[in-house]
Formats: sequence, structure tokens, C-alpha cells
Amino acid sequence: MKEVFANLDVRPILRSGGEPFEKIMETVARLAPGQGLRLLATFKPVPLFSVLGSKGFSHEARELGDGDWEVLFRPTNGASSARSVSAAPAADVSDWPAPVQQLDNRELDPPEPMVRILAATETMKQGEVLSALLCREPIFLIPELAKRGHGWRGGFEPDGKTYRILVRIGTAEGATV
Amino acid sequence: MIGVSLSRWTMSYFAAALLALVAAEVMMAIGYGFPSAALRAPETLILVHMVAIGWLSLLMCGALFQFVPVLVARPLHSNTLPLPTLLLLLAGFAALILGFLQLAGDVDPSPPCFVLAGALLGLGFALVLWNLARTLWAASTRPLPARFVVVGLIGVAATAALGIIFALVFGGATSYGPFVLLMEKGLPLHVIAGLGGWLTFTAIGVSYRLLAMFMLAPELDRTSTKAALRLGAAALGVAVLGGTAAVLLGVDVEFVLLAAGILGLASLALYGADVLHLYRTRKRRNIELNSRMAIPALASLAASVVLTVVLLAFGRLPEHVGAVVFLMAFGWLSGLGLAQLYKIVAFLTWLECYGPVLGKMQTPRVQDLVVEARALKWFRLYFLAVWSGTILLVVGYAPAFQALAALMLVATGGIVTELVRTRRLADVKAVAQLQAGIRKPRLLFSLSHQT
Repeated sequence: MKEVFANLDVRPILRSGGEPFEKIMETVARLAPGQGLRLLATFKPVPLFSVLGSKGFSHEARELGDGDWEVLFRPTNGASSARSVSAAPAADVSDWPAPVQQLDNRELDPPEPMVRILAATETMKQGEVLSALLCREPIFLIPELAKRGHGWRGGFEPDGKTYRILVRIGTAEGATV
Repeated sequence: MIGVSLSRWTMSYFAAALLALVAAEVMMAIGYGFPSAALRAPETLILVHMVAIGWLSLLMCGALFQFVPVLVARPLHSNTLPLPTLLLLLAGFAALILGFLQLAGDVDPSPPCFVLAGALLGLGFALVLWNLARTLWAASTRPLPARFVVVGLIGVAATAALGIIFALVFGGATSYGPFVLLMEKGLPLHVIAGLGGWLTFTAIGVSYRLLAMFMLAPELDRTSTKAALRLGAAALGVAVLGGTAAVLLGVDVEFVLLAAGILGLASLALYGADVLHLYRTRKRRNIELNSRMAIPALASLAASVVLTVVLLAFGRLPEHVGAVVFLMAFGWLSGLGLAQLYKIVAFLTWLECYGPVLGKMQTPRVQDLVVEARALKWFRLYFLAVWSGTILLVVGYAPAFQALAALMLVATGGIVTELVRTRRLADVKAVAQLQAGIRKPRLLFSLSHQT
């Protein structure tokens, strides 16, 4: 089978100090069923692997030299196009309301970020959204959110160091894995 | 991206492991095994396996069942398997000890204990590998620490394979030529695969992540870290595969081991540089006891490398190999293990107890479950005793070594008491302890909220 890839070179954006994340997600949203993405970047875009992984893409990264990387994102079986995946976290941020609370927990040592987020969720109303910045994936937090019936979406920011989690109070169905 | 729950049987692994550590220290204190007995005497073999399987391997398995899911953000492949796995490992371990006692002539030689040990331990470690490998395999990304663990798991497979061959030959179940040859010349390969490949490599991988996490240092994805992984893996490949080939072909193993040693040295040097980088770039100025007590453990690793090189240079390594192994096992691996246990037990207990009510009521912090000042003196005594013990082994004064082993036993007893107190919430203020909705944790397993 011949593979079809859309090409996206974000190196100029990165070199001028810009953020290519939005551009990448736009391109992914426009992919035809079965089409993959060929991405060129000035570093190995590790955070994208899990973001696009949750949208049903496998990745194959290759170093081109001078620090440049080529990554082929292929739609895997069961996800013929990015649009067909709806249950994955962070897939449809647009229908969530703007966060009413923001927490920056990046400088806190574990498990303080988890404690603060759970404390905040107890004070919020149904349907409200909390946004928190962390320095790691909050993997012990997620089962706790699920048990309390909250929805969540999360992923690393393009800098690869900051993890942003959005928590929506009391709307767990379809949002958690 | 899925959450991780508590591994129910991790505490049972830790408890069994700590019992074995205490047993090993009692043996050393009463003069059972090396240095009172010869390096290859059955008594020494019992002592060595009490430490390597009973203490360190069970500790590592219990920790990995909890930790590998954290590393790759995937749930453990099977939460049912760890208990039968533990029972198999314990039964196999008991059979192995009996086998060595048969070798020493202390018990009736007729039951095929070695064959039984080979089968039970082989099956136990196979289940460990299966569960962890499936978990790692299912992950979408495997960060560098997870790749160290992968190499460590290959290490345990190699160690177990060689160990089973030895057990079969010892037990008289086979006299297949190559197996007998391996039994005669392959002991260093078994030790390197176990101590270097399985235990040290896995500990290195785990330490990268734990040190970064608890000191708020950036996760390392540096060229040096990747190079440490590749060089270390190459060193182990050369030592174990090359060494086995050399034994079977009748070639001198020493040159192969020397080549592997140079690669391993480079790998450890890069790891040392990475660890210094982690401590320097940390955001937390005041670090907790587990990160502070990792320092003497890391120093012990560095010291055992230096000691090896110095002894090798003077051609004295063969007669002092016991001292090097002692420092590796008790200063580096046990020291790091005890230091991290101190934090892991507190954290898992805290999560088990207070996780369900976080945000809903006032809860203690993780640090409220422990009293670091009290534990610190036991850790100091422990490292002091291990280092003095190493020096005594090098100069060869066995009676004083026994006294220091007794001190190690006292220090370990102190640390174990602290762990039990943590698990029992003994140091948490009464108010926080008795609030409604809080479950008192069991000593030996977690009432994990698995759904």
C-alpha cells in the first residue's frame, strides 16, 4: 500500500522562536482518512508522540543531522483519521468552557500538586473547568479524578517540560480512559 | 496516558525482602559464610543468595511492579500475578537454600532440591519478566529510565538462565558438556549479569527518575544519559554473551571481561556525571532524607569502582573480590534500596490512606508520616558500618568484621522499625488518624483502589 503523508516543516517557526503546536494540530485536523503527517523539527518532538498517540497515530522518528528530526506519524488501525477519535483526552478542547481557576503547580514537590488540584475541585461547581500546570504527568491524580467523576484532559505543552491538565467537574463519561 | 493505581502486593515483597536482609546480617554477625568460610563454600553461597535473591531481587521486583507503570504511564499488565509470583520465588528460594545445605552435607541429599529450585525460581522470574515486559511493551513511549529497566530485565533473564544451568549441574540432573563447562568457569558471568545487569542497571534507571522527581530536577534526556545506557548495555552484552561464548570455546574469559569492564566504567562515569547534574540543577534546596541518603549509596558505587580498578592494577582483585562485592551489595544497592524504601513506603501508605479523602478534609502531608531526624541516625550508623566493614575485609580481619555486621544489623533494625511505624501511621497526629473515612493500612499489603 502506498503511504500518503502531508508535509509540515516547523523548523522556520521554531528558529524564529515561535510555537508550532497550533499549526501542527491544524494540519492534523485537515488530514484525509488514512493520511499520515511528515513533520520536520529542530528537536525530537517527544511530547507530540503522546499527544498524537492519543489521537491514533504511531510515530517513527529519524535524526537528520544538525539536530534536525523527521517524524512520520501514521494513522494506526482502528483510527482511519484523526477525526474518528473522540474519546481521547484533549481531542475536543473546544467544547469545554474556559477555565474558571488556574493553578501553577510546577514548583511544588510531589504530591503537593495533586493535593492542591483535588482541594480545588472540591470547591468548584458542576461543569466548571480547572486548568493546572505541572512539571510531570500526574499519573496518581488521574484515577482519583476518575473515581470522583471528573473529566480530564492533559498533555505536555510544546516546550516538553510543562504538563497542562484540564479538569471538568462531574463530567466523567467519555472523557476518561 | 492512563492513571496508575497502587500495586497491592508491593508491601509483601518489601516485607519478605527486609526479612532476608536481616537474616543475611545475622549470618554475617555470627560468622556464617564469607569471610569466615571460603568464597565458594556452600555457606557463602547461602549468604550471597540470601542477599541477591531474598533481599535485593524481591525488593526490586516489588518496587518495579509499582514503579514500571509510573515510568511508562500504563497500568501493570496483570495485578493478579504478583502474588503467585512472590510465592513461587519464595518457594524456589527456600529450595535453593536447601540445595546448598545438601551441598554442605547438612541435610539429607536425596530430594532433588536444586532441580526444584531451578524450576520454581525459573518460573517465578519468568512471571516477573512477563508481567513487566507486557507493561513496557504496551506503552506508547518509553522514557530513558524505562529503557534502563528493559536492559535490567534482560539481565535478570541471563542471571536466572545461568543460575538454572548451575542448579541442574549441582543437582546432578544433567552432565551435558557445555553446561558443566559453564558451571566450572561461568560463575563471574552469573555474578556480573546479576549484580551489574539486573540489580545495578535497574537501580540506575529507577534512580534517574526518583532523584529528578523528589528533588524537582529536570528529567534527563541528555546525550550522556543515552550514552550511559548504550555503553552499559554493550558492557553487559560483551560480558555475558561474549563471556559465555569464550567459556564454551575454551578461550580465556579474562580479556572479554576486561573489555566489558572498560565499557562499564565509561557507562558508570557518565551516570556519575548525570547524577551530579541532577543534584546541581535541582529546584529544591532542602532535599528529603531519601535523596540525601542516596548520596552515600552513590558514593559507595563510585568507591567500589575505584577499588576494583586499584585492585586490578595491583593484580590483587581475585583475593579481594569479596570486599568489592560486599561494598556493591551493601553500600550501593542496599543503601540505595533502604533510602528509597523510606520514601516509597511513606508515599504509598499516604496515598492508600488519604488519597480517597484528599481535598475533602484536612490531611497530613507525606512528610508527617515520618520522623527524619530519628531515621537519619540509623542510616548514618548503617553506612558507617558498611564502609568500615569493607576496609576490614580488604585488610582481612574477620572477627572485627562480625562486630560491624552486628552494627549493620542494629542499624537495619532501626530503619525497619521506622518503616513499620510509617505503615502503622504511628507518627501521625491522632486527630488526622482517626477522622472518618480513613482506612488504616495493613502492614503487608495495600487495600488498593483498583477498579
